[in-house]
Amino acid sequence: MDLPVQQFRTKAEQAYLDLFETAEDALPGARDPFVSGLRAKAIGAYGRLGLPHRRVEAWKYTDLRARLTEVNPLVKADGAAVSEAELGQALGAEIASLPAYRLVVVEGDLRADLSDLAGLKSAGVEAVSLARALEKPPVWLKRTLAQVNPRADDAVLALNAALMTGGIALRIGEGVILDKPVHLIQLDGVGDPASIFTRNVVVAETGSAATLVESFGSLGLRLLQRNAATELRIGAKAAVKHVKVQRDRDDAFHLSTWLVELGADARYDAFQFSTGASLTRNQVYLCFAGEGSAADISGAFLLRARQHCDTTLLVEHRVPRCTSRELFKGVLDGEARGVFQGKIIVSPGAQKTDGKQMAGALLLSETAEFDSKPELEIFADDVVCGHGSTSGQIDEELLFYLEARGIPESQARALLIQAFVGEALEKVEDEALREALGHASADWLGVRVE
Amino acid sequence: MLEIKNLHVNVDGREILNGLDLTLPQGEVHAIMGPNGSGKSTLAYVLAGKREYEVTAGSVTWKGEDLLAMEPSERAVAGVFLAFQYPIEIPGVATMTFLRTAVNALRKARGEAELSTPDFLRFVREKAQALKIEPEMLKRPLNVGFSGGEKKRNEILQMALLEPSLCVLDETDSGLDIDAMRIVAEGVNALRSPERAMLVITHYQRLLNYIVPDRVHVLSDGRVARSGGPEVALELEESGYTEFDGKAA
Repeated sequence: MDLPVQQFRTKAEQAYLDLFETAEDALPGARDPFVSGLRAKAIGAYGRLGLPHRRVEAWKYTDLRARLTEVNPLVKADGAAVSEAELGQALGAEIASLPAYRLVVVEGDLRADLSDLAGLKSAGVEAVSLARALEKPPVWLKRTLAQVNPRADDAVLALNAALMTGGIALRIGEGVILDKPVHLIQLDGVGDPASIFTRNVVVAETGSAATLVESFGSLGLRLLQRNAATELRIGAKAAVKHVKVQRDRDDAFHLSTWLVELGADARYDAFQFSTGASLTRNQVYLCFAGEGSAADISGAFLLRARQHCDTTLLVEHRVPRCTSRELFKGVLDGEARGVFQGKIIVSPGAQKTDGKQMAGALLLSETAEFDSKPELEIFADDVVCGHGSTSGQIDEELLFYLEARGIPESQARALLIQAFVGEALEKVEDEALREALGHASADWLGVRVE
Repeated sequence: MLEIKNLHVNVDGREILNGLDLTLPQGEVHAIMGPNGSGKSTLAYVLAGKREYEVTAGSVTWKGEDLLAMEPSERAVAGVFLAFQYPIEIPGVATMTFLRTAVNALRKARGEAELSTPDFLRFVREKAQALKIEPEMLKRPLNVGFSGGEKKRNEILQMALLEPSLCVLDETDSGLDIDAMRIVAEGVNALRSPERAMLVITHYQRLLNYIVPDRVHVLSDGRVARSGGPEVALELEESGYTEFDGKAA
């Protein structure tokens, strides 16, 4: 029962409702009852929730309502040409040139001219523009969209469902083992401030195996407000590696939600690497829906100036015999702030659960800050769960040892920072990808790689 | 020539070296002995440039250059090498990467071309073999999980690779059994040369049976209380440090 709730709304909170009202009839799928119904429900949920603020426990360290004062208009995709050089500039040359099936989304628009749709199709993967799919959703999408580990209490996600204009829908067929990663490149545009709402829906069917790399970069749009969501359903005995590399412009807001559901005996390895944006929220909701599966969600963030990066994970062990691992490493300089919140819920009956999480930060300045909050909610008795958190500065003893061998101080510091991040990067199995992330770390540090 | 004149050093506000004078000519090996707390390790760290050690008076020059004015890495470029008593473990840095970074940093600072990968590997393999260091050990993170003996051998390997002109060995014998000590001592002796000076710091005479010094200095209360030939070490072995313990010189 929905009671009319009279509540105060900030200007930005109201602006999203206005944005929806204005855009509603022109959004993709406006004439499809399934899609328009989904959007109406989502905007209703948002209206009740409002923007999250610090008294909402999951947003304790990231007061979105206070920080988001202006809402930008929805982006208008103009189909402008994007050169290889611009891609390299936006993502970093090593990431841009990863050997992969490329899918390029610019201003929310899947660009067939820049994407390898034919290659994917012959490899057994159905890839379509979400905007197009929403106009007349295929059956599999109707059974998936907004239904993978769904959340009713998340306003950012609700806004995404209400206002999504693009992204991709990807179905990796039963037993399909991809020979190279799918690289989903998500760029902004150029020019005036805009909001981009994208959603990706990915289904990895039984026994399939794939690596999905999502990279985010900027072509130069000012004050981008990005809200990106990916739903990923991993079927029984399927294995998905999911890597995110985010280097949006340093004035951007980057709000990201991953919704992940694992079937039985499945495997999921995620890695999130962030150096960009002014405010980043990386939230991952993962649930184990089938027994005997394993998930690893790890990552690294390197921040400076007044950058803020919040990683919030919720892992739900709903069934027995699943394993989850989390390892996040942050390097914080200037007045940067890193946040790690990791929650593990073990349902009654989810026996033989094995869950561990670890977060660590290296503070390079007196004014950098790291907040870490682990939470375990365990309702089963035969489980192994643990967490740990560290935060500290560069060890002077280690530094002196390196300097005493002739390595100049700045280089010695860089080496120690790379070593710190390296412990997390080790989680990335794909060698080309791991090296590309190593390069990205070195870029951030301003050092060349040997 | 290493010339230390009237060196006073404070650590945490406490004076540890108290007017130390020492002269070490190139081509010679001198031993520094002394009871615990006499300032042996402090001397080693001050030569290498550890920041917490505050020099309040005196001078240290190596080949006429003022060491005290240099950053730790600049001292290494000038030829100073400290073999640490407790080598540091650095997870996340492969030993080989570290060795290569150090060798090339020094070569670059000295205006020499960096070594190519195959040349470097050949260079390391040859030196490592002489010290009975397995190639597998070099793939591991620096000193992580190394035994005491492996850590000390790794120090000598670095010394062999960096080819310093002033070697300071801080209690390199501590924690070593007799076989490990022999390997380490052979490694050190192989580096003795007319171009190179060595300062061997040790608490026990034992190491000096293998690395025979030209001169022995005994520290007490932060200064040199006695200097002489190798026989001084043998006398100390007989009489112990009682004579030097806590006695204000």
